[in-house]
Amino acid sequence: MNAPHTQTEGYIGRRMARTEDTRLLTGKGVYVDDVGLPGMLQVAFHRSPIARGRIKTIDLSAAREIPGVYAVLIASDLARYKVDMLSFFLALPTVPVPVLAVDRVTYVGDPIAMVVAQDRYIAEDAAGLIVIEYEEQDPVVTLADAKHGSLVHPRTDSNVAAATGSDEVDEDLEALLAHAPHLVSIDLTHQRIAQSPMEPRGVVAAPQGSGELTVYLSCQGPQLAARWFAQAFGMPATSIRVISKDVGGSFGLKGQPWREEVAVVLAAQLLKRPLKWIEDRLENLTSANQAREQEIRLRVAFDNDGTLLASHADYGINNGAYPQGADSNIAVMMFLWAAHKLPVFGFHARGWYTNTVGLAAYRGPWALESLAREVLLDRAARKLGIDAIELRRRSLITRADQPCTTPMGLQLEDISPAECLDELLRHVDVAAFRVEQAEARKQGRYLGLGVATYIEPTAGSTGIAVLISESAHIRIEPTGKVSAVVSTHSQGHGTQTTMAQVIAERLGVLFEDVTVHEDDSSRGGYGSGAYGSRQAVAGGGACIRAADLLVDKIKLMAAHLLNAKPEEIFLRDSVIHVFGEKEQTVSLRDLADIAYGEPDRLPEGMDAGLEVQYRYRPPPITMTSAAHACIVEVDGDTGFVKIRRWVTSEDCGVMINPAVVEGQIAGGLAQAIGCVLMEEISYDPRGNPTAVTYKDYLLPSISDVPDFEYHHGASAPSKAEGGFRGVGEGGCIIGPPTLVNAIADALSPFGDIPLQLPLTPHKLLEVIEGRSMARPAPTQPKASTPADAPSEKPMSVAEAVVHEPSSALTPVPVVETAGIDGLWKFILSTPMGPQAFTGKLATSGNVVSGSFYFNMDEASFTGTINGNNLKWDLKVTKPMSITLKYDVQIQGDKLVGKVKMGIFGTAKLSGERV
Amino acid sequence: MSTHPIQLTINGRRHDATVEGRLVLSDFLRGDAGYTGVHVGCEHGVCGACTVIVDGLAVRSCLMLAVQADGAAITTVEGLAADDGTLHPVQQTMRDEHGLQCGFCTPGIVMTLAALTGGPNKANSETLLNALSGHICRCTGYQGIRRAALKLAGDAA
Amino acid sequence: MKPAPFDYLVPSTIEEACAQLAEAGGGATLLAGGQTLMPLLALRMSQPFILIDINRIKALKGATRVDGGTRIGPMMRQNEVIADPTLARELPVLVTAAQHVGHHQTRNRGTIGGSIALGEPAAELPATAVALGASVEVRSTRGSRRIAATDLYLGPYATALEPEEMITAIHFPDWPDDSISLFREVAQRPGDFALVGLTGAVTVKDGCIARAGIAWFGMGPTPIRARQVEAALLGQPIADLDLAGLAELAVADTAPFDDLHATAEYRRTVGRRIFARTLGERLNRNGP
Repeated sequence: MNAPHTQTEGYIGRRMARTEDTRLLTGKGVYVDDVGLPGMLQVAFHRSPIARGRIKTIDLSAAREIPGVYAVLIASDLARYKVDMLSFFLALPTVPVPVLAVDRVTYVGDPIAMVVAQDRYIAEDAAGLIVIEYEEQDPVVTLADAKHGSLVHPRTDSNVAAATGSDEVDEDLEALLAHAPHLVSIDLTHQRIAQSPMEPRGVVAAPQGSGELTVYLSCQGPQLAARWFAQAFGMPATSIRVISKDVGGSFGLKGQPWREEVAVVLAAQLLKRPLKWIEDRLENLTSANQAREQEIRLRVAFDNDGTLLASHADYGINNGAYPQGADSNIAVMMFLWAAHKLPVFGFHARGWYTNTVGLAAYRGPWALESLAREVLLDRAARKLGIDAIELRRRSLITRADQPCTTPMGLQLEDISPAECLDELLRHVDVAAFRVEQAEARKQGRYLGLGVATYIEPTAGSTGIAVLISESAHIRIEPTGKVSAVVSTHSQGHGTQTTMAQVIAERLGVLFEDVTVHEDDSSRGGYGSGAYGSRQAVAGGGACIRAADLLVDKIKLMAAHLLNAKPEEIFLRDSVIHVFGEKEQTVSLRDLADIAYGEPDRLPEGMDAGLEVQYRYRPPPITMTSAAHACIVEVDGDTGFVKIRRWVTSEDCGVMINPAVVEGQIAGGLAQAIGCVLMEEISYDPRGNPTAVTYKDYLLPSISDVPDFEYHHGASAPSKAEGGFRGVGEGGCIIGPPTLVNAIADALSPFGDIPLQLPLTPHKLLEVIEGRSMARPAPTQPKASTPADAPSEKPMSVAEAVVHEPSSALTPVPVVETAGIDGLWKFILSTPMGPQAFTGKLATSGNVVSGSFYFNMDEASFTGTINGNNLKWDLKVTKPMSITLKYDVQIQGDKLVGKVKMGIFGTAKLSGERV
Repeated sequence: MSTHPIQLTINGRRHDATVEGRLVLSDFLRGDAGYTGVHVGCEHGVCGACTVIVDGLAVRSCLMLAVQADGAAITTVEGLAADDGTLHPVQQTMRDEHGLQCGFCTPGIVMTLAALTGGPNKANSETLLNALSGHICRCTGYQGIRRAALKLAGDAA
Repeated sequence: MKPAPFDYLVPSTIEEACAQLAEAGGGATLLAGGQTLMPLLALRMSQPFILIDINRIKALKGATRVDGGTRIGPMMRQNEVIADPTLARELPVLVTAAQHVGHHQTRNRGTIGGSIALGEPAAELPATAVALGASVEVRSTRGSRRIAATDLYLGPYATALEPEEMITAIHFPDWPDDSISLFREVAQRPGDFALVGLTGAVTVKDGCIARAGIAWFGMGPTPIRARQVEAALLGQPIADLDLAGLAELAVADTAPFDDLHATAEYRRTVGRRIFARTLGERLNRNGP
């Protein structure tokens, strides 16, 4: 590709006012609730008031009698549609997810029936008249309940929803930990969080024509949503059009459609009417999927000089009843020590089913890694008597150390947390603060300084099939103006502005002449939209490549028409300049007139028109690094935390629009402040949510968030096109440890602070007072009803469940191994969700050989047979080079076993004959 | 269940309607009158997104009944910019300061700032920041909103 | 979150409202500022058959000086309370308390009478009425009566008002001009209900405390008058106060509770601290 000679105006890097703000500030945005269609009806759901139970009877008669009610539907009404409730990665769920509850309810808020009525008031009136009789059962609510309680889902063998990391104790690692000069260990819990976009979820579904469907959706990307619906419903992708113009925030919640949205789309098809459902805040806080609720025990061995020797993490996350993709969060382990010199790391991670609303993504889903590591490093510094900043410097990987590969197999090229830390300390005078802190303590005031570093994986292009590439389609319209259709999507990200900045600069046109469209799946090509801080890198790269191709065409065309050489053509401010012997200018409009209207005048063989599309695949991974510091004061009388200063030092690469970049950092930090100080979704022992309004679910207000200071001195361009790096999630990852460390520093005269978020005034005052102010422990629910319905596993079996997947398989008689020859369908439960593939097995004596077929790819292997046990190794290169070790038992006409996947731990495998 | 004829002024135009007693003002403004710039974020008076100006005062439109607005003059976010599209000073300042991201909470914030800076007794920055504590923004961390408020109060750096 | 159906009535006089209340026989709810009631309606936690909107009754508005005190119309908006020059002069602690109620936008609708009639135990205005020795004038078709604020509150959201009664005025007795306001609220964010709140006033004569009216909010099922510490303060020379001992007495009458946001013991502990801090600061003394 030619290097562009057209970089005019320097739009990239400018703090430009956002294009979208004009409509959003004047009330002209179009959010899903702003869509109205002729004949449209409104939906309200009737939801379970109990966390767990069997549905005995449903009486819809009173609801149906309300004037204005069009229909009342339950699961059986929608049963004609088969829907696979796919994960974001488009993987099948590990346990089937019903659209509406079938026979049993699994959390408070589980949707059972939907009322379709002429308005929402009437729909709610009718929903309140639905009468359901339950046989209530004791719920499994907490992580502790999940490990030792009865089964959340029948026909599972434990409450483990997802697992990575081996069950077997690594004795070498344990010996390293046990015999190191210093072992520091923390147990940390992170509360459950409601993502709380200010616009809750919502959908308008309109069946049209013969089987087509237009879905207006509050989502993170219409392209991915359309692909999700098509695949989940088994419909042709072309039949489903998803429109998502303005979205009032998402933060992970709206990454894929879920039960309510799907129910509305199905009901619209069934009733052949446009339907609208707008989630209200009560539903949003009780029935929309939630995030975090994690626990971690992190152990780290240090040498006397602070050198890291080894570490082990034991991790659990509450998946709720129906997670949006069962998850044990491999990313926590991938990034925990990715930026540090640590020779040995082991982990054990489990996701657990409970009778609570399901797990979804939230900004920086793996953020616990930074919180646990940075908090532990501060504790270690106090224990070892080494300054906390110095301790970090001893183990952080610097630019000079790279390229290198982490113990988890991640290849690092240009992370810079150490350099960001250096830059940070140019703006934070730690020594002066220590003097101020000491003075304040004499007056009974408790100031604290917290520092943390992190790296953030942003756009990547390996392993995750839905996240590989991004598309841009740029046209010079016949009017001479520029239209671009990009597979990015904004829920506040401002991509209509930033992508236009990139395009305008690379094309050499006026920013005002560029309109970016990203709101309609029928326009443009596939892209995931907002996910994993990817849009600047992947979308920006796509815009650059497409713009450069278009510039090439413009130059060739203009040179031909004006009798000049292409290198003499230059675009600036939407005008074509010709330099050389006879200098002249031509408007883009005039060129477009010829390109569209008189193609005979174009160079021979050149296509008519002025449009280009390009699908950009960014480098395998683009990393962002940062170091932050904050200073707090904790009120000794009340335990309240006041944040006095917050300084950020980030390596975001080349910034397209610094105001947008800083906006992302600030927004993430505000959410971090909420996580650390006040936000909390909790449940009582019966599984009832306790914070169901914004009076009780506390979001940070303007007085809780300080002014942030930004420093970009350590920035370096990334290897991606344009040199951009992502910044969408970072604040939410580095913010919590920075603030927790500051609070811990402030209260260090009193000892360690508890590591159970949120750090409420009550918990901090306990530290200051040195005594418990706890409420009496809640009484555990009595097992007054059978824990499992008769149709499920008998009680005795449920009670006997061990808290790990059973690895001891039931012995079965040795079978004739030749009986397994032929085609099989396998399901492998990986950290990305279940993967289905077909395979062919052939046996000969003690040798088994075979091939797996996966989306037109094939991998072959040879292994051994021992009785009814089969073993073979399979080398794969995606998402990274690892050897998969299969250990499979023949059980009748089924194959059951496990696959060791290197650092990804062990996954379950099952196979059935095709 | 009772219904009531009402007449009110919205953004300078007269509106006549017959409303059910229970119809909430925010739903009336959005659904019946078509001012979808009024955003409904919580329906229990905490988030502030639905804030409009009723007879000169910033109020939560989710905490009033439509019937209570009979005879009132209401301004929504659609009623601020000039006919030629020139933004109201509050809107322009919010844009200049990057005071919004997703834009959902924005109309409410704009209306509070407009109510407190529009009259003869212009509020100082302390009053504005205090009033802004009645708005939840999940995107911006309030950085640009605070800059805009200080600028509108004449206290900006 | 849409209200259940109800009949909406909008009386223009107190008499009309009382007649409607009587006719409803307990099935009606009064709509004052609506800043608490409207969320309850939206959540369907309140589902009245009849909603009586008293916003158009002119006789319920405004504040006037009466013999020995100030009479405040219950439909005076909280922001009107804050802006009223008479109240700023006569009842500064009431103005301060009103500034802590909700947010600017809710105070433009929310009324003093609505807040006092609701009886939220963590709210600022009921406790201030209790502390300052206010009383409410209530009316029904059967006549009118006065209820002292200290007798008004029976439990959370439970008051001595009969279903067919409405508050027609709130009477605050005069406090000397040089009275010292005591107000401190510990809440997680501006506008939140208090975790712990202290309100009231003291007067000092000849270096000794001559009068004290102190109450807590967020410290029990109702606003709590701190009678023991009031009694202990009387006659005490302010130069020689045992703040720690008084703080202990100050929380002696409270009955705080555990909830989502704080425990009873947190509330008691912080109550002691803010009592000592506030009294010390307001009497120009250093804390304990």
